[in-house]
Amino acid sequence: MKLLFLIFENIRRNLIRTTLTGLGTMMMVLVVTLVFTVLSALDRATTEKQTNLKAIVTEKWQIPSMMPYSYAKALSDGGANPDDPDAARPEDSMSWGFFVGSTEENPAKRSFENLFFAFIMEPEKARTMLDEVDMLSDEEAAPLLAAIQKMKDVPNGVIVGQERLEKMKKRVGDRITVFGRNYRDMDLELEIVGTFPKEPARYADSSVISRDYFNRQLDAYQRTHNNKPHPMAEKTLGLVWLRLKNRKAFNKVSEQILTSPSFTSPSVKIETSSTGIGGFLEAWRDVIWGMRTLMAPACMLVLSLVISNAISISVRERQMEFAVMKVLGFRPGQIEMIVLAEALIIGVSFGFLSAAMTYGVVNGYMGGLPFRIAFFPKFSVPTDALWWGPAMGALTALAGSYGPARSARHVKVSDVFARVT
Amino acid sequence: MPNPVCVDVRDVHKSFKRGIETVDVLNGLNLQVQENEFVSLMGPSGSGKTTLLNLIAGLDRPTSGEVIVQGERVSSMTETQLAAWRTRSVGFVFQFYNLLSVLTAYRNVELPLLLLPLSAAERKKQVMTALDIVGLSDRVNHRPGQLSGGQQQRVGIARAIVTDPALLVADEPTGALDAKSADDILDLLGELRKSLKKTIIIVTHDPRAAARADREIHLDKGQLVDAR
Ligand SMILES: Nc1ncnc2c1ncn2[C@@H]1O[C@H](COP(=O)(O)OP(=O)(O)O)[C@@H](O)[C@H]1O
Ligand SMILES: [Mg+2]
Repeated sequence: MKLLFLIFENIRRNLIRTTLTGLGTMMMVLVVTLVFTVLSALDRATTEKQTNLKAIVTEKWQIPSMMPYSYAKALSDGGANPDDPDAARPEDSMSWGFFVGSTEENPAKRSFENLFFAFIMEPEKARTMLDEVDMLSDEEAAPLLAAIQKMKDVPNGVIVGQERLEKMKKRVGDRITVFGRNYRDMDLELEIVGTFPKEPARYADSSVISRDYFNRQLDAYQRTHNNKPHPMAEKTLGLVWLRLKNRKAFNKVSEQILTSPSFTSPSVKIETSSTGIGGFLEAWRDVIWGMRTLMAPACMLVLSLVISNAISISVRERQMEFAVMKVLGFRPGQIEMIVLAEALIIGVSFGFLSAAMTYGVVNGYMGGLPFRIAFFPKFSVPTDALWWGPAMGALTALAGSYGPARSARHVKVSDVFARVT
Repeated sequence: MPNPVCVDVRDVHKSFKRGIETVDVLNGLNLQVQENEFVSLMGPSGSGKTTLLNLIAGLDRPTSGEVIVQGERVSSMTETQLAAWRTRSVGFVFQFYNLLSVLTAYRNVELPLLLLPLSAAERKKQVMTALDIVGLSDRVNHRPGQLSGGQQQRVGIARAIVTDPALLVADEPTGALDAKSADDILDLLGELRKSLKKTIIIVTHDPRAAARADREIHLDKGQLVDAR
């Protein structure tokens, strides 16, 4: 501890070299932090939660899944027999239909920019069942709760993700017309009642419209089309989410649903939401594997070499000083520690700086890392990055300075001083 | 009655391996230096002066023979023991001062004290005393680059005496200095010997420096030749 000043003076001695080493560290930490950001989000999504898990019920043989809405009620109950008080029942549920359309009437002019994508669902469930939204505090969810409340008075209300709202150049309170694509000839007149919070970013592009309102629009379609139902009328249920207390409840509900005679035409399957996402990510497996096993370690290796080079130059320059310190009574181990500590301080501080800047810029300024994989629109740098950064800096610094520190330790006084004079 | 023996070198051999050949530098050398004695060591280049000094200061070990300083058998200590022993028992003054260029005079002098169990206040007192003795109390916060050669050597001497060792060894302490500064440094060493009762061994090429000593000894072909 008494030697800290010596270490700091040495770091200050060659500011250019320290800065270059530091910049190298920052670049590496930046790249690895971004890679880990994506990986950890995917990991979290695919790691099965053992308690409070979510299950997804979809059509068994067809993708996209299109079930009749008549399934919704019974599936939401987990296929429980209404007369059986001992049947397993989900703690909460949410049914999704999908409405894909455009704010542009002319099909030739439709593009990603004017795309409109909405979940057809009960608005209240957006708060209690949407992944990640269900984790928000009441305070964080306040604007969403207000929007949900408003939808009770505005049946044709729509909640729009902030990014999509910006792309539409619309504001809360504005009215929009969307032209159906998967529901042909269904054009909806909607009123924007609110937006999703900025976090979680994955809903930045999505919207929510009311299931009741949508069903009434289907009825209206039938009335205005010679009492002929819309061709999609019996296929409006995409999937049903169930919240289950634990693995056991999941197994029981699975059994109830799979053995029920109600869900045979079409038949359905049930899986935990993480395996669902896992399957989705299968396509990305090579990319993810590459990121995890090649890129991050390669970055760290390169940085170790950079640090090793810088530190060994500085150790060579200081041969004489280390010899003097030995003459004064410094032990080899102490000299080794001084060299290691120098590298460690550079690694940890620049590692932290880089992680903190990445965290601030990506989460604060950019609102997440735009890396389009699966249905994650944006990735937030986890708070954990604030310690990964310094930890990576420390690791590479130790790896890179080990060799030079050893050679400093073994400086032989008699070799340095016993020259013929 | 002569003073007790401070440095006792007994039948010391030292050889270095250079590639496949072995160079014998010291051949059965004997030397006694009394406490509070001032000895100068002269000899041609490559005669082994530095090698002998390193053995006495515990920086290297003899191939055979014994080195005893103040009753302690330096030649058979482990490296760790030697390191601790050096801090307390011997001050080393270098020809090229060898101060740490990034540290102030104060920090340079303090360096050996950091190895001892002393409080900051105790260290400060000892550093200031040492700098006062060498006459540099007013250069405490200067770095080596801001000091003249003579001043740097004074800092070097302050660093050597700051732990109050009984023995001072100096390898050509005036070798890099002009005549005036060299005289001042020799005066200072004489003063240290007189008032602080140090035992001093210097290696020198300069006959005038050697003349200051109680005793001049010459090293030739690995053997000592008493000159005076
Ligand atoms: N560490 C060493 N390795 C090999 N040879 C050495 C070493 N130290 C000294 N020598 C050799 O020993 C001889 C005496 O060296 P030294 O003691 O430095 O002489 P000087 O009297 O000039 O101070 C020289 O020939 C030198 O090359
Ligand atoms: Mg020499």
